[in-house]
Amino acid sequence: MALQVLGSIISFLILPWLPGPIIGMLLLVIGLVLLGGVPDSLERTAAVLLKYLPLLLVVPASGIVLSHQQLAQDALPIAGALVGSLLVAIPVCGRLLQWLVRRQEAR
Amino acid sequence: MFAPMLTLGAYQAALYIHQRSGSLLLQPVIVTLLLVIAALWLLQIDYDQYRQAANPIALLLGPATVALAVPLYLQRHRIGQLLWPIMLTLLFGGALIIFLTLLLAWLFGAEWVTLMSLAPKSVTMPIAMLLSEQIGGNPALTAALVMLTGVVGTVMAPSLLRLAGVDSPVARGFTLGMNAHAIGTAYAVQEGGESAAFAALAMSLMGVFTALVLPWVM
Repeated sequence: MALQVLGSIISFLILPWLPGPIIGMLLLVIGLVLLGGVPDSLERTAAVLLKYLPLLLVVPASGIVLSHQQLAQDALPIAGALVGSLLVAIPVCGRLLQWLVRRQEAR
Repeated sequence: MFAPMLTLGAYQAALYIHQRSGSLLLQPVIVTLLLVIAALWLLQIDYDQYRQAANPIALLLGPATVALAVPLYLQRHRIGQLLWPIMLTLLFGGALIIFLTLLLAWLFGAEWVTLMSLAPKSVTMPIAMLLSEQIGGNPALTAALVMLTGVVGTVMAPSLLRLAGVDSPVARGFTLGMNAHAIGTAYAVQEGGESAAFAALAMSLMGVFTALVLPWVM
């Protein structure tokens, strides 16, 4: 049952604009709203898949090795832009959302 | 057979190191990645070969992304309640991320192609590669930069969020998903359901936001 649900969603993934898995995720949310709940089997399958999400990401991520020359070429601007933007954006986004959420909940 | 075993073995080792050390810097995703890259390099294995052999693992990534729908669905009321805070943070934070990235790269003297390849760095990979191509970047370089951003962002986020005093799971998850896409989301999943749902939401929204804004600005 769970595999069937997932299978039918994967078949939707052929839609060309947004990446397939993101469309699949949205479709599954819509599906669950229509269904009015999460079937037991799906919940278990999802829990297992999500538990191993970090592991699954490793295979595409290790593709970094292919671009080491290009990365080395512009290493300083890349490192500067990457670390600098994260250094500012992470605290700003976190504080901003936390502040907006608390402000709304206080009302 | 070797590649899946290498990946799984590295993951087990990373989990063990993570449990023993308890250090925020040694998150399983990052340690696994470093171990796999080191093994490929030491054993002189071609990445394409590894990729093909490890395909059974990579194939599950699609369904795992789809599975993020479950926490999203379970948190739907909370997301609906917080629609305005979410949208404001997305607009302001998304613009800030793109602006800072371009400004800093330009100040450090990046070439145009590098600049355009960096612009979509906080977006999940398939969208980022399409965008990079559209605005005149190098998609392969973008793919590497996206991964690097995810890894570096996930390493930096826990301490930065703690320093900034961000303890709400909503804000933590959303920030992780916005800045470090799938890798940040994978980390948020370990923090709990609420964090996971907002990370998945942020990852998707940031993809859509950047896809709409970037071609228009450039």
